[in-house]
Amino acid sequence: MNSDWYILRTRLGSWFSRLMAMTAKELIQFGRDTLLLFAIVYLFVFDTYMAGNITMQLNKAVVVVHDADHSAASRELIYRFRQPYFKLGGEVLDNHAGQRLLDQGRALVVLDIPPDFAHDIKKGTSVDVQVQVDASNAVLGFLASSYTAQIIGQYGFDQALTSLGIDERALENVPMVRNEYRVWYNPNQKDTWFMPISELLVVITIMGIMLPAAAAVREKERGTIEQLLVSPLTPIQILLSKVIAMTVVILLGTAMSLFFVLHGVFAVPMKGSLILFFAVTTIYSFTTAGLGLYIATLSRNLAQAALLAILVLMPMIFLSGAWTPPEAMPMGLRQAMYISPLFYFIEMGYAILLKGAGLDILWDSLLGLALLGGLIFGFGVWRFRRQFK
Amino acid sequence: MGQTSLVNDDPPVVRVREFVKRYRKLKAADGVSLDIRCGEIYGLIGPDGAGKSSLMKAIAGVLSFEGGSIEVFGQTIDSEAAAEKVKGRLGFMPQGLGLNLYPELSVEENIDFFAELREVTPVLLAERKRKLLAMTRLDRFLDRPMKLLSGGMKQKLGLVCTLIHEPDLIILDEPTTGVDPVSRRDFWTILTQLLRERDVTALVSTAYMDEAERFQRLSLMFGGLVVAKGAPEVILHDVPGTLVELTIAAQVDALVRLEKRFTQVEAVGSKIKVFVPDVTPQAASAQIQELLTGIKIEQIQVEKPRLEDAFIALLHRHHLSGKEEDSPAEMVWRDGVPPRGDGIAIVARELICDFDHFRAVDRVSFEVRQGEIFGLLGANGAGKTTVIKMLTGIRPPTGGAGTVAGADMRRASQSVKERIGYMSQAFSLYQDMTVQENLRLFARIYGVPGRQISERIDRVIQLAGLGPVCTQLAGKLPMGIRQRLALACALVHGPLVLFLDEPTSGVDPIGRRRFWKILVHLARVEHVAILLTTHYMSEAEHCDRLALMHAGKVIADDTPAALKTALEQEAGQVLDLAAEPVLSALEALEQAGFTDAALFGRRIHLLVKDVDEATARIRAWLSERDIRLLDITPRAPSLEDVFVYRILQQERQEATL
Repeated sequence: MNSDWYILRTRLGSWFSRLMAMTAKELIQFGRDTLLLFAIVYLFVFDTYMAGNITMQLNKAVVVVHDADHSAASRELIYRFRQPYFKLGGEVLDNHAGQRLLDQGRALVVLDIPPDFAHDIKKGTSVDVQVQVDASNAVLGFLASSYTAQIIGQYGFDQALTSLGIDERALENVPMVRNEYRVWYNPNQKDTWFMPISELLVVITIMGIMLPAAAAVREKERGTIEQLLVSPLTPIQILLSKVIAMTVVILLGTAMSLFFVLHGVFAVPMKGSLILFFAVTTIYSFTTAGLGLYIATLSRNLAQAALLAILVLMPMIFLSGAWTPPEAMPMGLRQAMYISPLFYFIEMGYAILLKGAGLDILWDSLLGLALLGGLIFGFGVWRFRRQFK
Repeated sequence: MGQTSLVNDDPPVVRVREFVKRYRKLKAADGVSLDIRCGEIYGLIGPDGAGKSSLMKAIAGVLSFEGGSIEVFGQTIDSEAAAEKVKGRLGFMPQGLGLNLYPELSVEENIDFFAELREVTPVLLAERKRKLLAMTRLDRFLDRPMKLLSGGMKQKLGLVCTLIHEPDLIILDEPTTGVDPVSRRDFWTILTQLLRERDVTALVSTAYMDEAERFQRLSLMFGGLVVAKGAPEVILHDVPGTLVELTIAAQVDALVRLEKRFTQVEAVGSKIKVFVPDVTPQAASAQIQELLTGIKIEQIQVEKPRLEDAFIALLHRHHLSGKEEDSPAEMVWRDGVPPRGDGIAIVARELICDFDHFRAVDRVSFEVRQGEIFGLLGANGAGKTTVIKMLTGIRPPTGGAGTVAGADMRRASQSVKERIGYMSQAFSLYQDMTVQENLRLFARIYGVPGRQISERIDRVIQLAGLGPVCTQLAGKLPMGIRQRLALACALVHGPLVLFLDEPTSGVDPIGRRRFWKILVHLARVEHVAILLTTHYMSEAEHCDRLALMHAGKVIADDTPAALKTALEQEAGQVLDLAAEPVLSALEALEQAGFTDAALFGRRIHLLVKDVDEATARIRAWLSERDIRLLDITPRAPSLEDVFVYRILQQERQEATL
């Protein structure tokens, strides 16, 4: 009994020691690859930093004015188009000139104020102003037209109050519905919190697929895989060493991004448990590694692997909610999101970092990721082993 | 000599002066100067990395260079425009089997494409195509896509495409590397014929030393330098000495003594070859007998040194040989008593491997005993590597079985796998890791216990002479040292069976000898069973036993000596003759019924049963036809002769079936 235990222990020990030898080799090779090191630092640090500086808001959108009235009233309306959302791009003398600027993409909004604008307001009759919006970018067009509508509406409301002789304080007695809302988790609705987290999770996905795929394909390309297959290593040891080494690299990159960029630069609150976040990242990294290994079995060289990785990445990101929230998806695609591992990761990532959610809330997402991940990883391992049979 | 009539006093076709080519810090060519005369076959001989390809590309006008000057047909090649001016008169075939061809196009389409590229008129094209195709015997395969041709046929098609515009200067970069000996022979015959018909000049590079005598003049290159140049006889004359060949039972003891005194000692199979510089044959023989007092010499024989001996002597003379390490013969590197070398280590039984459309390995059987060096000799594509892959369990056989140490490698336990070492073709270690890191990795993978790792690594480092480069990245090492590192990695766990796939391909002669010294030590002293593949005929002489492989089949399997004896018994002896004009002589001999007469450089080889009778007949036959016979001597057959004979025999058998 005792000797059986001893044999088992030595066998396990040598199995583990071989795995560690291979993992150490992967890490040494990774450390020697300056291009890869650069890519890691670039993506985890600079790319997430840049993402934090990008905003989904209107930012100094150019408004061009055709002011046929040139009155104090028209000027007041015009100057309500202010930064940071808008920027006045000057005046045009006729409608055609405005149209042309829209065509050329040099203006987003053309505001057309009719003659006798001030006169009509003073008279108390209703006045139309024309707003033309370039909606070739649907999101920008939508934002511009709704902001413009809000500005002009507010202006009209103010003018109406003035002409009726009602002042601010008297307003309280007017029967009106007012909305009071609370913004949770990101009270200032800062893009600088939302965007870099989303970018970090995408970067983890890209690297999580590419690094193990590259490590596996490189062995094939250089012919070193044969040397390993003749040795007492099993295919499991060969691929597990790659997955472990690349997961270590990804966790290090994630830590770098999380502490220096997200927390350091953008002051993302990081409310939840970091241990939970890294644990989820580890599970996710094994999932993407499964995909990477599968890609490696299909490709003969690095270029092919990279191309295949893009084919996998695009739908995975598209169906994840990183670029478009689930609420904006048509129903069919919304169901399809459940097969994108990134969907679960993004949900949990936001929940842990911004909402401070714990396992009690996230257990179902975690279960979903673990099941999906186990399936994908198992498939990748199966394919990887099968190619040597 | 008969050749002088071909070489005239016209300005040289190619004039290279102080040519320097750098790739970043690496100097590929360092002050190379040479002249190539009109109508000669000029050879560049040297190992990989000698600078041959750089020089040829620069002459062909497709590579810029850092220093010196190159003139081709009197035109200085100093710009792309200048190179363009002479490109119409050049034909250049780059290194690699059919790399300049298009795999999906058929033989004819390939030729037509190159003809159109060179603006050959349809009438001329039809005429040349007919002639070249007949010469290369490719006319039967006009519609076959290039990718389905054998290596030798690809290379011949490459030659046809290079010649289709009738260039005045043809530049061929290693056209015969890895090509089977029959195709190689065809290749040289075609080249010689073309050169005689028109005033064509050829610049040809090779890594095979034994091809040297095919050239009128040559440059021996090493590490970007020209070590010697001129006619082969002139180079040999510059390195006086004698080659002494010994047969000794106590080989290891003799080697130890000889190596203390001479730098060029080589164990070749059961023989020892020693190059004794500067003395007469008698003196050399006496020196050696004195040195080996007390050891029984079974046979001693003196020979003329070969070009390879001269090359190595020159490298030593120019201090290009690197540091000589301790003789491995004095070291023991595996723990415990070596096992007796009588068990059978490797068995291949009726191994078959089918790829999509063809049979790569066809019923290959052989056995390798413990302590034996077994060689698989054959061209690229003959199936050697596939056999090794099936034996090591990398590729499943379609039929048959292979066992190593009694176990099928595909299902072998770890303990069996721990007993074998494998070195795959090309350099397949981790180039971004240092020598020591590579060794440590393989020691740990093969389960060398932690306490012993450092000791083992030190031993293989000493054995392979890697001491000075321990901390360097594997990718930065020169070819020869890399191969020794790969061997060290395959040895670090002390295997009993060693698989080596083309271990010395492209390695310089000194590196090759060091490598073999280690192998001989492993087999003789440690009783390791070694199975290796090679396409060097000369190297195959080192093996205890050989299997000749051609088109997936083993066509002969025996010791090198027995293979040669069998040839002599079956087909007779090799007659080696020189005649002028040589092509007419070849034709006349074929008419006389010597169908296997073949051109070998400027000489003709043929097999005859009765030497005296044949000599007399040839003398009479040639003098009737006004062909001058310069000399004629019987010669011991080489392995190449054996191989060529066996391939042709095989082809004849298949044709009659």
